Amino acid sequence: MAYSDKVLDHYNNPRNVGNLDKKDPNVGTGLVGAPECGDVMKLQIKVNPETGVIEDAKFKTFGCGSAIASSSLATEMLKGKTVDEALQIKNTLIVNELSLPPVKIHCSVLAEDAIKAAITDYKAKSATPATAQTA
Amino acid sequence: MDNHHNCWHCGTPDAGSIFCRYCNSLQAPVPNYFEFFGMPLKLSVDLARLQKQFYSLSGLLHPDRYTRRSEQEKRYSLEASSILNDAYRVLRDPIQRAEYVLKEAGFDIGEQRSKDVPPELLEEVFELNMALDELRMGDDEVLPQLDESRKKFLDILVEMDAGLEQQFQKHDAQEGDEARRAVLAEIRLTLNRRRYIKNLVNEVDKLLTARNA
Repeated sequence: MAYSDKVLDHYNNPRNVGNLDKKDPNVGTGLVGAPECGDVMKLQIKVNPETGVIEDAKFKTFGCGSAIASSSLATEMLKGKTVDEALQIKNTLIVNELSLPPVKIHCSVLAEDAIKAAITDYKAKSATPATAQTA
Repeated sequence: MDNHHNCWHCGTPDAGSIFCRYCNSLQAPVPNYFEFFGMPLKLSVDLARLQKQFYSLSGLLHPDRYTRRSEQEKRYSLEASSILNDAYRVLRDPIQRAEYVLKEAGFDIGEQRSKDVPPELLEEVFELNMALDELRMGDDEVLPQLDESRKKFLDILVEMDAGLEQQFQKHDAQEGDEARRAVLAEIRLTLNRRRYIKNLVNEVDKLLTARNA
């Protein structure tokens, strides 16, 4: 099966691969997996607590080209958005942008799940005072 | 159970599932594996009995025995022998057996959602993948860690298989379709998780074998 140019571009030059400090209270980490294909995706966001804007996003994905491209694109989309705006990102947006074929739609679903998981993690953390976390 | 058909040859009602009880001619094979073996639809299977039944049916249904019989029986013996082999392969393996029962009950065993893998396992899966990546890039220092992970996942598989065995018994003990379906749904979850772990261990093995080759 041929990948679209955009998928290949993200696959060959993935944006924002890496790691953010998981212990940082402003960092939200989402870790999701798809048993079917064995793909695992970690997506992290760093949020400015004053403005609620996502200042940085990183990912590391083990999986097929489409999964890597989906998460790479997701981190690009996330930067500069507020947390609430980021929650509006739908997998269909990723599908359209990357022209994913039907068999690869689950990769974009995984990316959407990862975004939601990262935001959930961030919200849970920021709802708990930092002092209570260490206690 | 649809064993209540008339014999195609002599018309005897309730002819029996393999041979007509009256004229002894070979009947059209039933497609369901459990019925074919004359076993109740249970997930726990007596393997010794299954094997015995397989050998005995292999002999009775073998196409060589039907070379002088009617075209109809020749065809049935071919069909039945083929079902017999498939059925035996599936039923003697607990995983394939469970997948078969799930499929027959209308479960889509291919369909899976990311939620199926519990988060505590996901973390380990991710770490293992990281170690695999580093090994691929030539970092041998991760080898002990990889070996450790592999053992851990193999232990998880053993645990899962024991859990599956219990789920099988729970399924078999249920009265009524609805109660059985509920257990089948649990079994499907276990199978999904198991497949995930299995894939992972296979990947580690593949990489380690390639390295040592």
